[in-house]
This record gives sequence, structure tokens and C-alpha cells, in this order.
Amino acid sequence: MRLSIITPALLASAVSAARFILHIPSTQLVNPSTLLSTTHATLQSSGAPINAYLTRSNSFSFSNIPAGSYLATIHCRDFAFEPLRIDVTIEELVEGSGEKKEVVKAWQTFLGNEWDNKGELKGEGGNGLVVEVKPVGAKYFYQERSGFSPLSFLKNPMILMALFSMVLIFGMPYLMDNMDDETKAEFEEMQKKSPLTGGSANPAQSLQNFDLAGWMAGKTDQGSTPRSESPAPGGKKK
Amino acid sequence: MRLHAALVLAATLVAPAAAIFEDDAYHIDFHHALIGLPKRDATFFHKPYAASKASLIYTIHGNRTIGVVNPKDGALVWRQAPVSTQPGHGLLRAAEDQDTVVSAFGNHVAAWNAADGRIVWEARLIGATVEDLEILEQEDGITKNDAKDAIVLLSDQGVKRFDGKTGRVKWTYQDNSGDTPFQISTSPTTIFYIALHTPMLGGSQLRVTSLSPITGKKLDSYTLSSESEIQNHEHILFAGANTAAPLLAWTDKSNKVLKVNIIGTKGISTFTTPAKEAIKKIILHAPNRVNSLAHFLVEYHTDSGHSAEVYHVDLKKNTVSKAYSLPELKGKGAFAVSPVDANVYFTRITTEEISVLSSASHGVLARWPIKAPSSLAGAYPVQANSEVIVKSGSVSSIRSAVLYSNGQWVSIRNGDVAWERPEFLSGAVSATWATLAEEESIAHELEVESHQNVVSAYIHRVQRHIKDLEHFPAWIQNLPTRVLGNLLGKSEESAIDEIHHDTFGFHKLAVVATEDGRLAALDVGAQGKVVWNIDLNELAPGATFSDSSLKAFRGYVEVMGNGLQGPLFINSTTGELLISDAIQTQPAIISKDQHLISFDLIDGELKGFLGAQATAEPVWTFTPPNGESIVRYTARPINDPVASIGKVLGDRKVLYKYLNPNLVLVTTVLQSARIVSFYLLDSASGQLLHAVSHDDVDASRPIPSTISENWFSYSLTIDSTSSASSRGYQLVIAELFESPLPDDRGPLGASSNASSVQPSAAHGDATKPYVMSQTYHIPEEISHMAVTQTKQGITSRELLVTLPSSNSIVGIPRMVIDPRRPVGRDPTALEASEGLAKYSPIIMFDPKWSLNHKYEVSGIKGVIATESGLESTSLVLAYGQDIFGTRVAPSFTFDMLGKGFNKLQMLLTVVALFVAVLFVAPLVRRKQINSLWTQ
Repeated sequence: MRLSIITPALLASAVSAARFILHIPSTQLVNPSTLLSTTHATLQSSGAPINAYLTRSNSFSFSNIPAGSYLATIHCRDFAFEPLRIDVTIEELVEGSGEKKEVVKAWQTFLGNEWDNKGELKGEGGNGLVVEVKPVGAKYFYQERSGFSPLSFLKNPMILMALFSMVLIFGMPYLMDNMDDETKAEFEEMQKKSPLTGGSANPAQSLQNFDLAGWMAGKTDQGSTPRSESPAPGGKKK
Repeated sequence: MRLHAALVLAATLVAPAAAIFEDDAYHIDFHHALIGLPKRDATFFHKPYAASKASLIYTIHGNRTIGVVNPKDGALVWRQAPVSTQPGHGLLRAAEDQDTVVSAFGNHVAAWNAADGRIVWEARLIGATVEDLEILEQEDGITKNDAKDAIVLLSDQGVKRFDGKTGRVKWTYQDNSGDTPFQISTSPTTIFYIALHTPMLGGSQLRVTSLSPITGKKLDSYTLSSESEIQNHEHILFAGANTAAPLLAWTDKSNKVLKVNIIGTKGISTFTTPAKEAIKKIILHAPNRVNSLAHFLVEYHTDSGHSAEVYHVDLKKNTVSKAYSLPELKGKGAFAVSPVDANVYFTRITTEEISVLSSASHGVLARWPIKAPSSLAGAYPVQANSEVIVKSGSVSSIRSAVLYSNGQWVSIRNGDVAWERPEFLSGAVSATWATLAEEESIAHELEVESHQNVVSAYIHRVQRHIKDLEHFPAWIQNLPTRVLGNLLGKSEESAIDEIHHDTFGFHKLAVVATEDGRLAALDVGAQGKVVWNIDLNELAPGATFSDSSLKAFRGYVEVMGNGLQGPLFINSTTGELLISDAIQTQPAIISKDQHLISFDLIDGELKGFLGAQATAEPVWTFTPPNGESIVRYTARPINDPVASIGKVLGDRKVLYKYLNPNLVLVTTVLQSARIVSFYLLDSASGQLLHAVSHDDVDASRPIPSTISENWFSYSLTIDSTSSASSRGYQLVIAELFESPLPDDRGPLGASSNASSVQPSAAHGDATKPYVMSQTYHIPEEISHMAVTQTKQGITSRELLVTLPSSNSIVGIPRMVIDPRRPVGRDPTALEASEGLAKYSPIIMFDPKWSLNHKYEVSGIKGVIATESGLESTSLVLAYGQDIFGTRVAPSFTFDMLGKGFNKLQMLLTVVALFVAVLFVAPLVRRKQINSLWTQ
């Protein structure tokens, strides 16, 4: 189907030429009247691209475009536009009448995809067709400099960890004081069982002499420090 | 489908990019947005719309660009460069109270919105070039308020009238006489078409045909007997445009007679020119407004000075008479004419002063001395345009746009220079990085030390250090201001002019040669300040410089060109010509068992020669197969440092890079079959290392390529005439390795002491690289490619591509175009740790990659990059119509504190900590004592 359209078009390319207009509508993203005059549109097919400048009515007017299949791109400093595929063909409107007319069709196209992979039909008609082209986004050139902000400082995991331990150190005694006697006793019992505290008077010392291998082996003896018992690496005094 | 496209877009956008910081933009980079030297008869002050208070300066350059400049600050308001398929000179006209200007280039006529440069209408005239263009100010003596129509004179197709609103042709007058069309001129009621009628013998006659503006029909025709004077176009001084009395003035070969005719009458007034000295040049200035007085000024230039005469035209009697003459002044000068209401004022600009005269009498109305800056030293005014402000009968101020002989376009306001535009830089064809002589002298001394024995080298060194001490007092004096400036964060601006204070090596001189034969040096670190600027036409008269090329050597630059007899040597610090005998050329350092092989493109074949010169017997010859023709070749840069000989993979294995210093990439084209091939050669042996061919390529479009380290890249345009499966532009990157396997050196593995860096030392067959390549779709055409360069090559590289259609230069991070990106699958954890992303067939150019951000750099011919003093940073200069320079840090500025680093905050923190220590110390001491007591 596709080939059958293009082939007569190529043959007739010398005979006739089409004209059409790409128009930038006013959208929320961009007021087209503010676009720079360096904004221009190109039609690429073979050889040098055909160029059209931005007019006062926010459009690009192409005239004398020979039949063919074109990639239309809009180049603008501040906004990115979606590319279009524009096919110009010469067709007989009524079969056998011999009367030929230019037909212009415009589709969305996707770079890096097959050319036949067309998107939404953007417009179809004869000479003087107006196709709307919409910007897809503003171009932002600059990188943000990450300055000092208290929030980003707080987001740092190290700071969060430090804050958490601060809360524990200062908040725990307060919590203990507010506990009723029963839970307090239960908690102390739990602490005694805990391998880290080990019932020793000096928690720091017991931490240093903690017998990892013994603990892992499920040893349960308490009271005296297991200083001489094991040559396990974890238990060595540093 | 749309989702797929969106995903592709998102995938490409996450790639890391070292973009420009907003506060660095406009500081680390500079842009000379140029037009080119303004054309004399197409430069004018004009109000962009009828109610506008301020006017803009409109100009056109040669056959390239229309530019509009704000007379306040010299900033470019808009610029357009229409493409003409036929050569021809540029014309630009504007009518009073109109919001459009009309331009003509070759066969292209267009009307532009005067305020912002958008197009109003355009017309392309097939098979003709525009000879002259005028705007019809009045019709039947009545000024039209609508869009005024344009009258165009064509080389072969007669006179056409274009509708001022739509560009539709209203009528055509076909001239079949075979005369050379020269100019058109309009009066309120008639259009005059002036042609040169050249009989078989003798000079030319001027034939004036009057046409009806409404119908375009011929009303009358007569010839003026001018055959004794006019031999060619140049002898016609003036053919008045829209003056109330259109004038036709010409002179003879020896500039002795001035003949003036009021167009529409047959009478010729003859005047003799001042006869004291031989007159070299005559220029006629007349106001171009319909309602101005019919007065004009004739400017005479002799070898030693210049003078002028003012003439009045009596419209009732149709006579021309001399009113007064201005005294001859020594030296060069320029005149400008400025109509104010009906009065006409003449401005005389010399190197010393600016003076304003009325056309009615010879008294000087106002006079200001010119305070010329150093950039205008030795230059004189060549042409000028002035705007005179008259308040209650006296001249209150004057603003002139003056073109100086050194190519600076300067605005002078009441004698003060308001701005300068270095228009001579436009149209650069070649550029190179020059090294300063001082820098080189240190390098030289170090070299001396390294060649001496230990003791004498040590003595030399101590002497050098003692000598350096003489800078010490100045340095210590500057220290407080520098430290203070640093703390307050304005160090960069204050030090910007100081080329000697170049701690980071950002101040490099770039020498640029233009097609007009100008050679200039720019300080890239100081916003592109012009350090020196010379005219090569004076050094080599009669030569053309449109294809000149530059080469930098220690302390001097060599200018080569087809139009030159021999190379010119220019001192890179001062811009003075060096006599070639005085230069001690440094021989290339070659050890005994090595040979120098040079290569060149000769008669479509690439040939390698023994020695530095091309000889009759090439060592090797590369002829492309199948009738392909070589279009270009790219060699690996001579100075291309590589930090690592291998690429470390995620699993700590190493892929060895193929680092042959003699790589040459040759691009060949077979136009008929639309095939483009690339051949990778070893320039020492001439051996073919790799070849690749692409079908369905549009060979008429640029095929840029570059080669660096162990990779090369090129870009293609797909031709649509064949049934290509995709459209647009492609970027191909290929990386060379010694072997496809990691931890393997391929053919080099067997020998214990071999390297691809020295392929000639390898035994047996020259090793061939293993080539990995990938192709990407890109959204725009690339016209030029370059690669960033750093001192040690540790910093990752960026591929600098020039995009002509969006007027930008984009730095593609090397990581994004790594040919090892996995295809069709997600990267494994090891690959991801290397930074490899899944291959996607398209690379969208992230706006953050753009080096030029909001600048629009147009007409870029080439981009050059060099190292700075810092490893992280590479200096980049783009040249062509515009000049653009910037600094690039592809891996961020890891060796320099950025502007985000607050030095004051750091100092305050240190102070605060110190104070805290003072407070806490007694507390701690008390606690320690307490703990001793309690134990």
C-alpha cells in the first residue's frame, strides 16, 4: 500500500509541488509570540534540508515542496518540539479522471524507530494544509549547584544515625524512670540475658572482651568474665 | 509506542552530564556574535516600528548575514543568514515608518520584521540574481501608510514590483535591450531603471528608462553620453535611491572630473575635483529621505589626506551647484550623512575628532575629541553612520557607528567610545592554540637543565630561582588584595585581565585567521579579548586567505595558504612578522634508529614519504578501491596523552586498548552508489588496519569524523531516496582493543616486550586491532567533531559535536557512547558498576550537554580543544562566523574549588570551633581532675 503511493509520487515529483504550513499553537508551555527569530523548521529527505523561518504569525511556511517523504524538525533554542513525518504525494482524486492534486499528510514520528512506524495522524489535506506542532518541553541548560541547606544536612544517613543514638542515650534513662516497677524488672532481666551487657559492672570492658565465638556457640555461663577461656579472635583484647 | 519513545527518552536523559552551572555561565565562556564587516550602502539607523523612540543599527555583510545591533550597548538584536543558491551581493533597505526591512541576496528576496527578525515574506527567483533593490516610498506623491512595496532589479528578468505585505509580484518590466542592468531609483512619481549600454568600442553609455510605478509600463527612455568617462561599474559613484532629487554621479578613470545628472533630466553638470594631489577615491553621500533637502557631499581621498565638497541641487531649475568645501585634513577620515526632519547634517570623523556640519552652511555646529581606546591605536575611520540629535536648533548629541581600518566596528557617542564589536573576526577559516613565549622559555630552561650534567644543572637551577626572586616584592605586595578578593569571592573577575597571573592555565592564546586575511590572537581566559590583530594583506599583498591554515610552534605561528608564496611566520606574543631566517626551527626529536614518515593527500591518493617533505618516491600509497574518492582524513592528535593502557572491567580484568599513535582515519565516498567507507590506516607502514562501509548514505551532506585515544567516531546522513528503514542522522563510534578477550594482549601476547604504542617495534605482522562499534540515531546533523583534551588524559573525554541547525555545540560524554553498552538486555551487575547502560538506538542531546547554553553560535567551521593547567579542565574554542570559547570539565572540576565553596563560611566555622574549644577546655580539665580524685 505504502509503496504504491510513494512510487507514483516520485515519478510525479517534477510535475507538481505542494505547499503547507506548520503552525505553533499557543499552549500553556509556550507563548509562541515570544519565540526567538532563530527558530526554524527543516524538511529533510535527500540533499540539503529545506529550511523555513518563523513568521510573524508563529508558523513556518513551506512552498514548492516536491513530492516525497520528509522528516520535519523544528529547531528552537528554548523548547524541544516533536519530530513529524510529512508525506507529499500527487494523487488522482477521482479514479480515472486524470486530474491530479497534491496531498499532504503529517504524522508523529519516532526517532530511532523504523520510518514506517508512524504515530498519530496530525493532519491530512491538499495544498495549504496547516499542521499544528506542539512543543514537548522547555530546554534547561544549567546544572543546579548543590548549596548548603539544613534539610539536605538532615537527610544524611550518618547524621540520622548520630541523632538516633543521641535520642537513645538521653532518652533511655528518662524512659526507665517513667516505667512502672514490673516492667522495669522485666527489662532488667532482659538486659542481664543480653550478651552485650553480660552482667558486668563496666559495660565498655565487657564489650571489649565479648566472646563472639562463645556466644555464637550458645554458651550461657554468666557472672565471671570469660577472659581466659577462648582464643577466639573476637574475644582477644586489643 | 509513545510509551516506548518516552522510555527511550528517559533512559538517555539519566546519563550523567557535567553541565554548566548557572553562575558560571557567561563567566567562564564568551561569545562574539558577529555579523561581519558592515557594508557601506546597506548600514543605517532605523526605527524598528513607526512609534518606536529608539532606533537600531541595521547592516548586512557581504553575501552572508543581516544583523541588527542595539546602538546602546552593541548587543546583537537579531541576525539572519538566508541561503542563496546563487552568488550575489547583499542588499538591505528600509523605508520610513515601516516595521519591515527588505533584503536581497543572490536570488533570494525577503522582508523581515524589523523588531525581531521574523520573516514576513520571501521570494526565490529562479535563474536570476538581484542587482538592486529599492522601496517605493511614495506613489503619485502620496506617502502610503500601508506596507510599502519593493522594487527589484534582476540580472536577466528586468524589474519586478513586490507587494510589501505578501511578497506577491505586482508587475514585471522585461528589458530586452541586452544592456547591463545597473540600478534602479525611485522618485515620487516615477521609477527609473538605469542600465549600462556598452557599444562595441569605447566606454559605456548610461541609459535611463522611466517606468510607471502603477503598471510597470515604460514611459520614456534616454541615454546620457558618458562614454568618455565610464569604463566599468566602478566609475559610477552614486545612483540616488529615495532622495527627493534622484542623482546620478560618475567620474572618469583618473578621478579628475565629477559629473552629476539629475535623473529624469538630460542635463549633466560637470565639476572638476580638487587638483592638488591625485585623488584615489571619491565617495558621494546623499540623504535617502524623500522630504530632505536635496544637498549632497562628495568625499575625496588622496594618499595623504582627505577633503570634501558640499553641493546643492535646485529642484526648480534642475541645476546642481557647489555650496562650500571642507578643508583638507592630513590623515584619513570618514563622512556620514544624517537627515533630521528636512535638514541634512554631515558628520566628519577623523582619528582625533568628530565634527558636525549643516548642509546649508560651512560652520561647524559641534565638535568632540575622540578618546580612542588602545584597541584603535594606529587605525583610522573607514566608513561611518551617524544619528544626530538636534534640540532647539543646535546639535545636542551625536551617535556614530564607525568602522575602523583594523576591522573594529565602534560606536562613538559625543567622542566617547560606547562599544566595540570585533567584526573582523567573522569568517574565521583556521585557528590554533599558540603558546606564549614566556611559558616556552621556562620549558626551554627546563630542557637545558635536563641535558646538562648534574652539577651544572643544579647551578643553573639555583641561578634561575635567584632570578625569579625579583618578582617576589611585587607578589608580596599583591598578596593582601588577592587574599581579600578571594574571600569576598570576586577573584575571578579582578584577575581576568592578568595573563601573567595565570595560576590555572586558563589564559591561552588562540590565533585565528579569517578569510579576509586578518590574523588575530584572542585570550580565551579573558572573555576572548583581542590581544593583537594584524592584516595579512599588508604582509603578502595580492594573496588570498580563504583557505589559509595555521600551525603553532614555540613562540610563533606559521601561516600557510594556497595563495601565499611561502609560509609567513608571526610572533605569537606580539603579532609581528618574523623573518624566516631568524627562526631556529626545531627539528623533530628522532632517535637514530627511527625515521620520520610524513603523509599527504596527493592526486586523490594518500601517500607516505620518508622525511618531512613530499618526494617523488612514496614509501606507501593508499588508493581507495572501487573508484571511491577520498574526501577527508583525520589523524590522531600528536599530543594525545592516555592515562591508562587498558580498560578495567567490573570483574577487575583488563581490556587492553589498541594505542597506535599513527592512526589515520580516511573517509571515502562513492557518490553514485551512495556508499561511504572508512579506512583506518597505520601512517608509518601504510597498512590497512580496519575498513567499514555504509550503504544508503547521503554523500552530499557533511561526514565529520574524529579520532582520539583508541577510538574514532563519525556521523552520517541517511539518504531517503532508497527504501531505508529509518531516517535521519547517525553517529557511529568504534573502539579499538588489542584483543576481544580481557586480560589478553592478542597477537602481542607472545612477545614479552611489545606494545601497540610502538607498532614498528612489534615482531612479525603488524597487529590489527579488535574493533567494537555501535551506531546511534541522533536528532540533528553534525557538521564538525572534536574531542576534549586534558593534560594527562585522566579525565574522561567528551565528543564535541557542532550542530549547525540549532546553532549549538554539544559535548557528548564518552560514557554515553561507549560501544560496550549491552544490546538487547539489561546490564549485569558488573557492567552496571562500569557505568554501562543498556543500548538504546537513539541519543537525544540533553540540553545540559550544550556548551553554549543560551548563546547561539552560528556558522561554526571548526572547534579546537586544548589542555589547561588543570587536569580536570579542557579549553575549547569554536570559530567560523562567530567566535565562542569556553572551559569544559567532563568529570567535573575535581581539582578546583567551585563557586559553591563559601570561603567565608569555612573561616567562620574554624573561628567558631576555636571559640568552642576555648569554652570547653576548662570544663574538660575540671572533669579530668574530678575523675582522678574520685578513683
